[in-house]
Amino acid sequence: MKSCLGKVLRVDLTTGEIRTEQIPESVYEAVLSGKGLGAWYLYQNMPAGADPLGPDNILGFVSGALTGTGAFFTGRWTVVCKSPLTGGWGDANCGGVFAPAIKQCGYDAIFFTGISDHPVYLWCDNTTAELRDASAYWGLDATEAEEQLCRDTRRKKKPCVASIGQAGENLSLISGICNEGGRIAARSGVGAVMGSKRLKAVVLAGTKPMPCADREQVVALSKKLGTKLNKMSLPSGMGGMLGFGGTMLGKMPSMPLDGSLTAYLFKEWGTPSNTPMAITSGDGPIMNWAGGPKDVPGAVRAYNPEKINRIEFQKYHCYSCPMGCGGRLDIKDIAYKGFPETHKPEYETLQAFGPLCKNNDLESVFFINELLNRAGMDSISAGNTVAWAIECYEAGILTKEQTDGLELSWGNAPAIIALIERMISREGIGDILADGVKRAAAHFGGTERAMQIGGQEPGMHDSRNDPQLAVHFVAEPAPGKHTIGMGLQYGAMSLCDICSWAPPAKVHSKAEDLIPNDILAWIAKANACYSMLVDGAGGCYYAEMMGVHMWRLVDYLNAAAGWDYDGDHYMQIGERIQTLRQLFNIKHGVAPKSFVLPDRMEGKPPLTNGPLKGVQLRNGEQVSLYWKTFGWDQETGIPTQESLNNLQIPKLLEVDAHGA
Amino acid sequence: MARKHPVFSYENCVSCGICAQACPVSCLAMTNIRKQGKYKKPCPEMAEDTCIGCSICAKECPMDVITMVEDAVS
Repeated sequence: MKSCLGKVLRVDLTTGEIRTEQIPESVYEAVLSGKGLGAWYLYQNMPAGADPLGPDNILGFVSGALTGTGAFFTGRWTVVCKSPLTGGWGDANCGGVFAPAIKQCGYDAIFFTGISDHPVYLWCDNTTAELRDASAYWGLDATEAEEQLCRDTRRKKKPCVASIGQAGENLSLISGICNEGGRIAARSGVGAVMGSKRLKAVVLAGTKPMPCADREQVVALSKKLGTKLNKMSLPSGMGGMLGFGGTMLGKMPSMPLDGSLTAYLFKEWGTPSNTPMAITSGDGPIMNWAGGPKDVPGAVRAYNPEKINRIEFQKYHCYSCPMGCGGRLDIKDIAYKGFPETHKPEYETLQAFGPLCKNNDLESVFFINELLNRAGMDSISAGNTVAWAIECYEAGILTKEQTDGLELSWGNAPAIIALIERMISREGIGDILADGVKRAAAHFGGTERAMQIGGQEPGMHDSRNDPQLAVHFVAEPAPGKHTIGMGLQYGAMSLCDICSWAPPAKVHSKAEDLIPNDILAWIAKANACYSMLVDGAGGCYYAEMMGVHMWRLVDYLNAAAGWDYDGDHYMQIGERIQTLRQLFNIKHGVAPKSFVLPDRMEGKPPLTNGPLKGVQLRNGEQVSLYWKTFGWDQETGIPTQESLNNLQIPKLLEVDAHGA
Repeated sequence: MARKHPVFSYENCVSCGICAQACPVSCLAMTNIRKQGKYKKPCPEMAEDTCIGCSICAKECPMDVITMVEDAVS
């Protein structure tokens, strides 16, 4: 594949051995790079039953197949490992600048095995890859560590740093890995795996060119897209209408949308544009998934994204992104003191510490955002855990003695902040909560109030609002992730225009999706396969949501790789990646059927107010139909031999990386 | 032969940062905050006086925002 380097770096932290391995071309043909290369490598090289926090776990940092080719929206890097949260496949994805930095060192990925006997970091440039003592940086938050390592190690090229903060060092099972001052690969407990290896950071300062077959064609595609995006602009002051827009979305049937709407909204406000809409449409969970819009009066106004834009002093763009959904906020003058600035909180963070905790104090969420980003803790998992703790406190399951004297009532922002600080430092009750809601409930009780699937807390999109999302929450090899597919997203993507078997998005009643059906199963499959393809390319899901006609992934891949494949071929690559991740779980003894929605997330009992009032799902039946579309066993979710043969997976698993 | 340095036509810049990441000596940084309509977009600027005139930034820019011009002779 002419857009990849064909090499990975393997670092054994126990022995200190560092070697280059060649990846056969057939692997890239089968699964691209990114999550695909990561899935293949981990399946092949990690022994079954490996302890997620032990030496046999492999932690991989993988760039994308399109990263560095000139293709827009391809600056995502993926972390892969066995997840200590779920015991199965783990991955997390992040923007920033780290993805090209991997390739600029001459590798498509860097894989770590073993455990160091002291804190270390990896230094790598064009000619050198070495482990260095990190004792001086251990204990720093991720942003401090990044700044100091940049300053201390810089020669000519400014290094790119991926680092853990205190949460990863403390082996919090809901910790992630950061770059660019708080952009975080947050999910699956990847930070704890890095901490268990005593790997503080990866510092990359390579300057090698990144290959591309037909750069002229790639640039032509980018220029067209960039020119269009540059001209996009919404009239000012429309943020106040988003809540009403959400109300309308909640009442309207499902329908196809214009993908450019994504670009308009995210360019204007970033993902915070979704918060008011989510509150009123039923998309955003409220009060630990037990409430409706009427339970959070004032929340729509509190989370109007215009308030966030007012303190945004610049837009933030990840590498190769022409849209810039991120931003830097000046938070010197907020009520909670300590940080001069923060990355604009994502929708997930706003919803998790806003309506999910019945908290209308926007400034507190700015502060929480910076706390978590610096510590390297996942705001989705942390938010679900804090909301559970509040509900348990209100219900008398947690006592004031157990909360270390914290008055954990709904919406008590100072108490929420104090609890998060304890989780980061593992003090008092924070020591238990730092490992997520499943373990917290196992310790204190309140299991039925703990929103988790297979050990991982769900993203901030309500399964009852979107039966397709409910499927992915449990059928995903990394359960609980919200990024694989949603109904609204599918309506904007026009996947049927590149894939012969993807159903067209049609206007239909939402009630139809509550009854398990084959069309929804095929839509969920199409979404999953395309998302895997995007991950293999190193692409951004927000580009995906703009639709196949605006972000032309198939054309980009053909131009960059020097191939001439159609959409069906690429969707099969996505299917192969998804199947490999499923096989990883089966190899490691994690039964797909063991992932189930908590009753509450399935509408048992149903909500009593809002657009989701009375909604109940039959998710188990829908998941079974989804598995059938892959040719997997409908009862167990285990891929059949026939389905593996159709994807040529047995042949793929015959090849291995070999030392150069 | 006179050395060259980059000049930027910011109107078409989409803030993708490809130029800054490609620069082998990191003399470019996305720290020039410019207004385009109501948006404050970060654009590249010569943050450090270490440019080696290699033209990589200009070659990598997908939007043709960067032109290399010869340094003025003093």
